[in-house]
Amino acid sequence: MSGFLLRRILQMVLALLGVSIVVFALMHLVPGDPVRVALGTRFDQELYDALRERVGLDKPLIEQYFSWLGGALTGDLGVSFRNGQPVTTLIMERLPATITLAFAALAIALIVALPAGIISAVRSGSPLDYGVSAASQVGISMPDFWAGVMYILLFALTLSWLPSSGFTPFGDGVVEWARHLILPALTIGLISGSIITRFVRSAVLEALNQDYVLTARAKGLSEWQIVRRHVLPNSWIPIVTVVGLQLGFLLGGVVVVEVIFAWPGLGRLALVAVKDRDFTVLQGAVLYIAFMFLAINLVVDIIYARLDPRVRVS
Amino acid sequence: MRKAENRWRIIIVMVILALAAAACSEGESVDVGDATTSTAAETTQAPSDDGTTAAPADTTAPPAEAAILIAAQGSEPDQLDPHMTSAYASFQVLENVYDTLVQPGSDLSMEPALAESWVISDDNLTWTFTLRDGVKFHNGRDLVAQDVVYSFERIIAEGLNGWRFGAVETITAPDDSTVVITLTQPSPNLLVSIAGFKGMAIIPEEIVTDGSIGTNPVGTGPFRFVSQSPDEGIVLEKNPDYWRASEGLPKLDGIRFVQIPEAGTKLTALRTGEVHWIDAVPPQDIESLAAEDGITVGRVPGGDYHYFSLNQNRAPFDDARVRQAIATAINRDEIAEAAQFGAATANQTAIPASNVAWYYDYAPYGSGDAAAAQALLEDAGVSNLTIDFLVTSDFPETVTQAQVIAAQLAAVGITVEITDVDFSTWLDLQGNGEFDAFMLSWIGNIDPDDFYYAQHHSTGGFNFQGYSNSEVDSLLDAARVETDQAARKALYDQAAKLIVDDASYIYLYNPDNINAWRDEVGGYATRGDNAIRFEEATLN
Repeated sequence: MSGFLLRRILQMVLALLGVSIVVFALMHLVPGDPVRVALGTRFDQELYDALRERVGLDKPLIEQYFSWLGGALTGDLGVSFRNGQPVTTLIMERLPATITLAFAALAIALIVALPAGIISAVRSGSPLDYGVSAASQVGISMPDFWAGVMYILLFALTLSWLPSSGFTPFGDGVVEWARHLILPALTIGLISGSIITRFVRSAVLEALNQDYVLTARAKGLSEWQIVRRHVLPNSWIPIVTVVGLQLGFLLGGVVVVEVIFAWPGLGRLALVAVKDRDFTVLQGAVLYIAFMFLAINLVVDIIYARLDPRVRVS
Repeated sequence: MRKAENRWRIIIVMVILALAAAACSEGESVDVGDATTSTAAETTQAPSDDGTTAAPADTTAPPAEAAILIAAQGSEPDQLDPHMTSAYASFQVLENVYDTLVQPGSDLSMEPALAESWVISDDNLTWTFTLRDGVKFHNGRDLVAQDVVYSFERIIAEGLNGWRFGAVETITAPDDSTVVITLTQPSPNLLVSIAGFKGMAIIPEEIVTDGSIGTNPVGTGPFRFVSQSPDEGIVLEKNPDYWRASEGLPKLDGIRFVQIPEAGTKLTALRTGEVHWIDAVPPQDIESLAAEDGITVGRVPGGDYHYFSLNQNRAPFDDARVRQAIATAINRDEIAEAAQFGAATANQTAIPASNVAWYYDYAPYGSGDAAAAQALLEDAGVSNLTIDFLVTSDFPETVTQAQVIAAQLAAVGITVEITDVDFSTWLDLQGNGEFDAFMLSWIGNIDPDDFYYAQHHSTGGFNFQGYSNSEVDSLLDAARVETDQAARKALYDQAAKLIVDDASYIYLYNPDNINAWRDEVGGYATRGDNAIRFEEATLN
């Protein structure tokens, strides 16, 4: 197990290194220049050169990369070109809102997807199954920008039940925290839930067609007992896989939903960084997102082994 | 059986952990000074059905009378150093934190601010400013003349607006309340140049020395900076030592600027009372918003202008007749209607009619006159013209306008190929001259020198279109130093006529400045220069 972990962590470091090189190269290849953005339309060559020198953009790319890498290895991701703030600070202060939204959305997704997926698989071919399939099709097809706007119009503007935008930290009051969280979490949660529903349904359906289910039926077990004792334990692996992917995606920040609900998450930070060519912030944000994906992948692999004794991590 | 239950337990534990992690991730709470939390401020102002203000729901809320205005901005301030930012969102905040030596009044004429008076020497080369007594920075230190000298020297040395001091020779502080500025040549627009907006703010040196200026601004203005976070936005509180405190200003206890990037959400937040004030209302929403009870839409003709320009370093746009043909073929009213839903005034010059002192009424071009345009093109021997038209979706109106222009120019056989890039790329392409035409707007100008010099003088810093007319150069140079107002106006009128005739810029329209606020807000007015000033605002 420890050998496995060590290998995986080494792989992660290499992957992150690769990501950082690719992101660094791409950012400098696309047109656009943070110093020009800082100057706005009032361009002046002398000022431009002075600013480039101040932020170190006048140095050769290789040198810039290694000086960034040297800092990154010691936990210093540099400072934002846009406002001189440390990149780690900028990312850290966005994490509470990002993590809150990711887990709340995932919770909603699971609350919807697990029962819906299981029931539609067990009652496969029934009107209920078709109903769930249709609903999840709608959920997957519904764009988040449209759903979010509809929720705002309905719950904030028309009914005045919930605020339309913003984030209140948990420490400032649970009620306000929850009120601000519901709409964005619902927007993503239902979409995510629709995707997971389909995976749950097909995983459960596949297990239901196994011989051991036939045997269980022959033994006279009730359908619910069969599902609980024989089908679900054999369906977890694909479900955990898709849940892990969804979580990794959510933890990277959900740009569109964050913009619509003025949610102060990582997605918006990254979006503004792209717009202003704030290279260091973007580099830091992408690195964080890649790290989250890899870490969750690792956790998912470990969970595989816990869920299914046939899987060995070594 | 046992194993199955273990697996269930793992799943349940995972879900609980997920919820717990979400719940625990509140981060650090932010000290907003007088215990005025965002939640409290919002619930304090939540309107009930009958339009009255609901009592605070939260028992930890501050006294109900704490008047915290919540202002929603459409974009995020990049940084809070007034000398280093070029972002309008930053200036919306800084307008209320900093002061300038003098400032534009509501009619845009320059009024006393930190300087209560000034005298100009007979040769027009020495300006002596007397500072107001008893002005304090937010950190408690008295403002002295040396702070003005320091601020201006910093702008000249490293700020974005050093070019505004082009005519300035020396800036000195002979005593604590006197600033003397000497010039190399008469500069009648000196006040607008050095104090026309908060990019010329007077700052205390200590916040530069300790490096806090970008994140913790300290000014002399009506509100003090308290905090900035992604969660709460930017929190300002009343400055009790404000130099207009004897007039009872500012009237608000504080302001919280929140950032709502999506325009629809911003409008909803105003309608539901989550915020009290919003910047830039999308023109298509003006009518419905103004019709709503409890909301006021402030709309005044603005000083901004929209234009496009053809690359005179490329054939055939180096031929004035081709540029004139294009200026004739377009219909400015249609463009303004499509892009601004009529919340704009078509104009063939730069300066809007609302700028009474400098407006020049001149409109030589026909409107959508295809025949005249065709004749000009034939005269120039140009046919089958294709224009690579550079716009940016970060300023979406440029895209709309280019589409309308494309349709209008199709009528005279000109093909417009729209290049829509993000603003960073746009700046790059513009700077490198990689365009046939580019389109944007200039904002917040007051003096004609700002409207014309840098854009159309052959040595101008923003003359990306490659315009060069020695007559225009000498007119603009002469107007810069002409101290007689009427003679100066005459020079600028002549220069403007040439610039318009040569179609160096093809001017389109002046958009209105539009804000909206709830009726609880009083004492606020939308301004011609789009400065957002809350010093006299109230909240009921």
